[in-house]
Amino acid sequence: MIERRLSLPALRFGLRGGRFGLMMGVALLLGFVVLGLSPLFVDIAPPAQMDLLTRLAGPSDTHPLGTDHLGRDVLSRLIHAVPVSLGAAFATMLAILAIALPWGVIAAVAGGRVDMVMMRLADIIMAFPTLVLALAIIGFMGASLQASIIGIAAAWWPSNARMVRALVLSASQRDFVRAAYLSGASRLRVIVRHILPQVLPPLAVIISLETASVLLALSALSFLGIGAQPPTPEWGAMLNQARPFFAQAPHMLLVPGLAVTAAVLALNLIGEGLRDLLDTREAYEW
Amino acid sequence: MLRFILIRLAVAVPTLLGMSVVAFAIVAIAPGDPVMMELRALGVVPKPEDIAALRAEYGLDQPFLLRYLDWLGRAVQLDLGTSIATGRSVVTEIAMRLPATLSLAVSALIGAVLVSVVFGVCALSRNRGVAACMRGLTILLVSIPSFWLALLFIYLFVLTIGWGRLVGDGTWSDLVLPALTLGLGAGASLGRVVYERIRAELSEDHIRLAIAKGLAPRRILISHIAPRIVGPLATAWANTFGALLGGVVIVESIFGWPGLGQLILQAIAQRDFPVIQAYLVFMGLIFFTMSILADIVVFFTDPQLRRTLSDD
Repeated sequence: MIERRLSLPALRFGLRGGRFGLMMGVALLLGFVVLGLSPLFVDIAPPAQMDLLTRLAGPSDTHPLGTDHLGRDVLSRLIHAVPVSLGAAFATMLAILAIALPWGVIAAVAGGRVDMVMMRLADIIMAFPTLVLALAIIGFMGASLQASIIGIAAAWWPSNARMVRALVLSASQRDFVRAAYLSGASRLRVIVRHILPQVLPPLAVIISLETASVLLALSALSFLGIGAQPPTPEWGAMLNQARPFFAQAPHMLLVPGLAVTAAVLALNLIGEGLRDLLDTREAYEW
Repeated sequence: MLRFILIRLAVAVPTLLGMSVVAFAIVAIAPGDPVMMELRALGVVPKPEDIAALRAEYGLDQPFLLRYLDWLGRAVQLDLGTSIATGRSVVTEIAMRLPATLSLAVSALIGAVLVSVVFGVCALSRNRGVAACMRGLTILLVSIPSFWLALLFIYLFVLTIGWGRLVGDGTWSDLVLPALTLGLGAGASLGRVVYERIRAELSEDHIRLAIAKGLAPRRILISHIAPRIVGPLATAWANTFGALLGGVVIVESIFGWPGLGQLILQAIAQRDFPVIQAYLVFMGLIFFTMSILADIVVFFTDPQLRRTLSDD
């Protein structure tokens, strides 16, 4: 039973569990967008500008987050890494969707043999551990940010294609979809007008959560030195370069890690919040 | 039971063949000619007729299908070629480091399963504060990159408190920190699955009946919910193990754990294709075996599935 309680509408809208998380996630992500755009409005040192006299310096007035082993400003690198790190994650997710969406929709709508063959092919890719397959693909292409984007996308799409297929299958069992077919609508029209609108909300949850995982994977690859190559500012790569100076300059280590965590957290919060909003099941309380 | 396993294995054969095609094709279509690479590794300036002779010797002048069958024939006999960098058989190289990687992945998995159960069940606590805290902690732990967590752990435990060592020699005590690093994140994301599954069960009518009968929550959880979620959870465990097999690479390189991670990173840097290929084959096979085991658990714990299979 839902307990009816008197509450202010603003409070009800703003501060309930899932919504609160969603708001926080959106705010964090907006914060990153502002941070990423800030070089356009504020004067920030270029990320590659070296100052060899103040290497490994701690936070100070000129360098609010200190400098790295080459005397580059950590804050500037952190800010210039926003479009690189987040951009790479979104580009990867776009590539994954570009394969997974048509693959899943076609398999679900076509059904029969086409469905079986398409899902079998996806199963073959899925039979490898995702990161292992991505590592192998990067190994054969040579280490670079592009290679890691391609490697992750190529190893990641089948699981998303499977989820899209499941969503489309359950969406096409609704009565109004059948009615649309019966009234003579073409397949394409039914997909675009009746199935996709149903699929989009749960898909938004998946996209948000998967982008978070993709961002983690990409920054891990950069950390291992097989993703973004120096001198590109990228959070994982910054951490990789900070490793030898671990004990002398812990500030180099702290900030990029926090940045990755905050970005991943934002995407996870948005995904979970959206999921809670869409979840209409009522669990029985004991 | 036997019937199910036989059916499952029969279904697995095409997938296995497909996997072998992927593993072979990734080398066959890779940029860079293996013959040129080997000659360069030997430090020889090649003449065109030498190249042609070597290509013929390796069978590279044959069509794709024949080369694949030839490769598959040798792969089945555990002959996956020799490492370009060390000149040793890649199977030996992998076999040397595989136990360390597997023990790390397995102990991380065990840790993750324990963490996930605690997190998943606590997130359902009736105490809203506890539930909200657990859900928040879960999302936070899922979001922390394992490599950063590893560095933080090293800073805290090794450099500050002095509990562990940075350069391990593969003894059990060196396993704790890397396994903890991997297990926490994996456990948190598994905890989400546990939470989701229990919540889904809580919306079912049989649970409503159990609550109406006045059973204690713990009793409901253990005898009504647990048996129904073990199957799906086993699948999630297998998937987590797959993720750990990849994640191990990241953590091994930080903690200096003597597993496959170092080997594969070196192989990528040196473009040592046979090693990368063998790594893909072995990890694929291990993950594949885990998936089959998970399917068997699903079969065992799902009476409906068992009945339909014994009927037809």
